[in-house]
Amino acid sequence: MRMFDAVAKNISFLLGGYWITIKLTMFALAGGISLGILVGLGRISKKKWVYYPVTFYVNLIRNIPLILVIFWFYFVMPIIVGRPLDPFPSAVISFIIFEATYFGEILRAGFQSVSKGQIDAGYSTGLNYIQTTRYILIPIAVRRMLPSMITQSIVTYQDTCLAFVIGLHEFVRRTTIVDNFEVRSIQLFGFVAILFLITCYISSVVSRRFEVKRERGY
Amino acid sequence: MGLAYKFDWGVLWRQPYGVWLLKGIWLTIQLGLLGWIIAFALGIFIGTIRISPWRWLRFLGTAYVEVFRNVPFLVQLFFWYFAGPMLFGHSLQFRINAIIGLNYYVAIVALGLYTASRVAEHVRAGFGSIARDQYQAALSTGLTEVQMYRYVIIPYALRIIIPPLTTEFLTIFKNSSVAMTIGVAETTFMSYKIDSETFHGLEATTGAMVIYLILGLAVVKLMGILESRFRIAGLVGRK
Amino acid sequence: MIEIRDLSKWYGNFQVLDNINEEIKQGQTVVVCGPSGSGKSTLLRCINGLEPFQKGEIIVDGVSVSDRSTNLYKLRTEIGMVFQRFELYPHMTAMQNITLAPMKVRNKSKKEAEVKAMELLQRVGIPEKAHEYPANLSGGQQQRVAIARSLAMEPKIMMFDEPTSALDPEMIKEVLDVMIDLSKGGMTMIVVTHEMGFAREVADEIIFMDEGRIIERGTDISFFKNPKNPRTKNFLDKILL
Repeated sequence: MRMFDAVAKNISFLLGGYWITIKLTMFALAGGISLGILVGLGRISKKKWVYYPVTFYVNLIRNIPLILVIFWFYFVMPIIVGRPLDPFPSAVISFIIFEATYFGEILRAGFQSVSKGQIDAGYSTGLNYIQTTRYILIPIAVRRMLPSMITQSIVTYQDTCLAFVIGLHEFVRRTTIVDNFEVRSIQLFGFVAILFLITCYISSVVSRRFEVKRERGY
Repeated sequence: MGLAYKFDWGVLWRQPYGVWLLKGIWLTIQLGLLGWIIAFALGIFIGTIRISPWRWLRFLGTAYVEVFRNVPFLVQLFFWYFAGPMLFGHSLQFRINAIIGLNYYVAIVALGLYTASRVAEHVRAGFGSIARDQYQAALSTGLTEVQMYRYVIIPYALRIIIPPLTTEFLTIFKNSSVAMTIGVAETTFMSYKIDSETFHGLEATTGAMVIYLILGLAVVKLMGILESRFRIAGLVGRK
Repeated sequence: MIEIRDLSKWYGNFQVLDNINEEIKQGQTVVVCGPSGSGKSTLLRCINGLEPFQKGEIIVDGVSVSDRSTNLYKLRTEIGMVFQRFELYPHMTAMQNITLAPMKVRNKSKKEAEVKAMELLQRVGIPEKAHEYPANLSGGQQQRVAIARSLAMEPKIMMFDEPTSALDPEMIKEVLDVMIDLSKGGMTMIVVTHEMGFAREVADEIIFMDEGRIIERGTDISFFKNPKNPRTKNFLDKILL
């Protein structure tokens, strides 16, 4: 494939960057969804001291660009920790805080769709708040919102590129490094684009099949 | 462990930093508005061809949306900026790269192309929510397909989708910050630049956050006014 | 077993329960009927603490429901509740629906809980459906699983909130049969229902509620033959068609 020779020459360097992209995505999703569950619960809480701070946090983060959040944590973390931080942990924290608001809103919709009767049924058998939330509310909500959660996960995966700006050696940054001396931009950026295109497209097809399977009466 | 960091909020308005930020805000606004014009026009077009009766047109529309939706915006931006000029062939590419402010134009075009794919999806959903009978009623009065779309369906659909369009309008301002990676001196770029001069990036980025918040509020307010002026009586609205 | 004294409840300015007084002895089956909005469901939900109330007292087996020191979770293990829309957990099989609370609240082992669950499924007549999801069960079957789910906690009292109202007519009998069985077996039951056949067969007392008040009460014979209150007569005329 003479067309993609610059890519082929540097493939291991590039794929090393892709691996970092994947790692960042995995951490961001694990943390973002976990925190997102708490955020979603906070947003439907009747306790004012929970609802207002969580709502403030969600509305704040959803209105500012991700790049800014990444920078902000990059500047904040050294002050708190006392020494400069590696780009990877800084990026992970930024992404978790950022994506949790989006997952939180998705899960909130899921929580609100669970009928009060089912929660009451749980309480009427003697389960407490943590048990009804853990065994009834969360499982039903997650299953219902699975397509949206997959879509948001794809968005997170795409967003990881932005960690570029704090020097993280993820996929896109490594591509620009290679481009600097190979100057075969069409090939290189085309390669990145195609890779994302294929992975994201396949994921969205998978997500659509989940929507069909949902006809199981949830 | 005390904080060995002294806050200096003055970086936000002391000269020359204050001016930098103002210039950055102005560029953010330009990027957002001009990009939105492209996105809106192109998005309506693509959304419409997605539901047209010709298979190859539909396919084109679907292909456009899938490509521009699945590739991260940063990658698209880099592609157009670094690889774009090369697409014009060997001789033209040097002349293009020599254009002053190229990154500005590329950013606007890239924002427009990307956001158009999202607008197209909302437009398509808007069409989908209009009952079949409306289409048939319009056609039965003798209008051609094109006229039906232009005078009946598109205006109707646009009003329905004002809420999701508001979200996209907000998003385009947020995405304008990505243009800093190719050197466009907008708000986020400026806050980073202030940090590199003063090492007070925390204050600078906090200031930038407030700016985006205010911008976001303005957009929501604006679209809210539009929504109430164009409200269709009898349809389910908010509150 | 249950004593209700001067119970009153308001939603904002709207009074939904007005001075309810009632005593239910152990082993009794009490049927509550009345037009919709009369407060019947709310009354049940006050008894097991799902709804708070502003005035009056409810004492269940010596425990006051509204007392701050009362452990409501523990109280609810003694009172089973069956809902109009079954409310089975859609993501769990019938077996899992039944064993969840015994395992998590009474710390039973999975094996113990499953053995008991099969016993209960046998008792309500559908042991073969143990590993089916609610979506694959008919309404009548779902409601019977719901009854088994409540019985799994071995409650002293069972409350039913219009258990057959959401069922197709062919399935009403199978659920009522289970309930009649329970009642004859000595369970203390409060049943909100319009099924007068059921009331005639097993009710020790029938209460008619309207606009949050108890308008009339009686044993089955006196209630149906000679309703004292004109509103009761009105209501009975409508439903006993």
